[in-house]
Amino acid sequence: MRNASTWAAEATSVFVKEWRCEFRTRYALNTLALFAFTTLVVVSVSLGPLGVSMSQGTAVLPVLLWVILLFSVAAGLPRAFVQEEETGTAMALRLAATPSALFCGKLVYGLTLVLALEALVTPVYVAMTNLTVVSPGLLAGVLAAGGYGLAAGSTLVAAIIAQARSKGTLFSVLSFPVLLPLLLLSVELTRLAVAGSPPGVALPQLLLYDASVTVAGLMLFPAVWNP
Amino acid sequence: MIPPLVILPRLHFDDVRRRFGRLSVLTGVSGVVEPGGMLLVTGPNGSGKSTLLRCLSGLLAPDGGTIEYREMDGRLLDAAERRQRVGVVAPDLAFYAELSVEENLAFFARLRRVPPDRGLAVLRRMDLPLDRMAGALSSGMRQRLRWAFALLHAPRLLLLDEPFQNFDAPGERVARELLAEHLADGGLAVVANPSTLDFDHAERLDLGR
Repeated sequence: MRNASTWAAEATSVFVKEWRCEFRTRYALNTLALFAFTTLVVVSVSLGPLGVSMSQGTAVLPVLLWVILLFSVAAGLPRAFVQEEETGTAMALRLAATPSALFCGKLVYGLTLVLALEALVTPVYVAMTNLTVVSPGLLAGVLAAGGYGLAAGSTLVAAIIAQARSKGTLFSVLSFPVLLPLLLLSVELTRLAVAGSPPGVALPQLLLYDASVTVAGLMLFPAVWNP
Repeated sequence: MIPPLVILPRLHFDDVRRRFGRLSVLTGVSGVVEPGGMLLVTGPNGSGKSTLLRCLSGLLAPDGGTIEYREMDGRLLDAAERRQRVGVVAPDLAFYAELSVEENLAFFARLRRVPPDRGLAVLRRMDLPLDRMAGALSSGMRQRLRWAFALLHAPRLLLLDEPFQNFDAPGERVARELLAEHLADGGLAVVANPSTLDFDHAERLDLGR
């Protein structure tokens, strides 16, 4: 029976390996950064240099922020397991890694990538659109919880599609039901943060979503990953 | 006085069957490998040698039949445990091109919870530069890295699919020495190759149609 420390060491090894490979290829970093930059420019130019009115901003800008984050993540994160299958390293991983530790290592890697993206995109987006955030603490919490859900959901879907033929199409199809509740909750909470309203039941619901996707991932992944 | 029961590792598979869609690749294959023994699986391309080894390793679930593998404690290992215990050399086994040979081996050693020493010793015997990026290895060098990966955790059972392909003469000599040492130490091996290899004491299983 493996104890928790060896399991954690395995997950950490996967996480470190992911970042080491990423720093040497910069595939996901470049993809995410370029996509985020392009969409940021498009949104800011479309909304005008002086930004939108306060009422419009509260309604529209939180949606656009999460659309930017979703599509940036969708451009980079599905590679998590697809690349392992395409390059043939999946076989070595199947022989050596504990599935749950592998899933968690990949998830934490995806999470750090999403959080870095949010840390880069959100301040620029807020500045470029003249968005006034009344509750920045709540916004930070929503970005953290929403970012975790985005990473966990994407990692799970990426694992499911890794061995399929039409990976791109499948990712879009499977991501829709998995990520839709997350995005609706995140947008709603971002609106509340911008308006300075209390989060109400939406925040516990978002945390419950995160917990559900994590548990589902840990339970489903061994069956999806192994024959 | 009754002598203590000595349990030895043993691989026994019986009537293993596997289909891919309508294509039957394995149609009831059976065999036994005892400690220190080697089973040489031969047959033309497409006869199911690699499929049989993937089933034995736990990488592929057979459609029917039984695969029983026990190690020193006598406990029957399921597919997930077999995957973690066996040593595999296969043509489609690849490593991270962005990492060096040593970094690849260290990563898989951490996953297997063993020190990388044994794998590094194999690589030194095989004369493979540790600082070379895996993506820059020749096909023969990749095969050497596969051997180091397979022997990293001192497995009792080696499953070797075309184990000497792409080797030069010194590489094949060292690989044969490693296999002989593994068998002399009481290990088991199943070797798949399209043509027969000159092993004196191997049991043979021909999958030719």
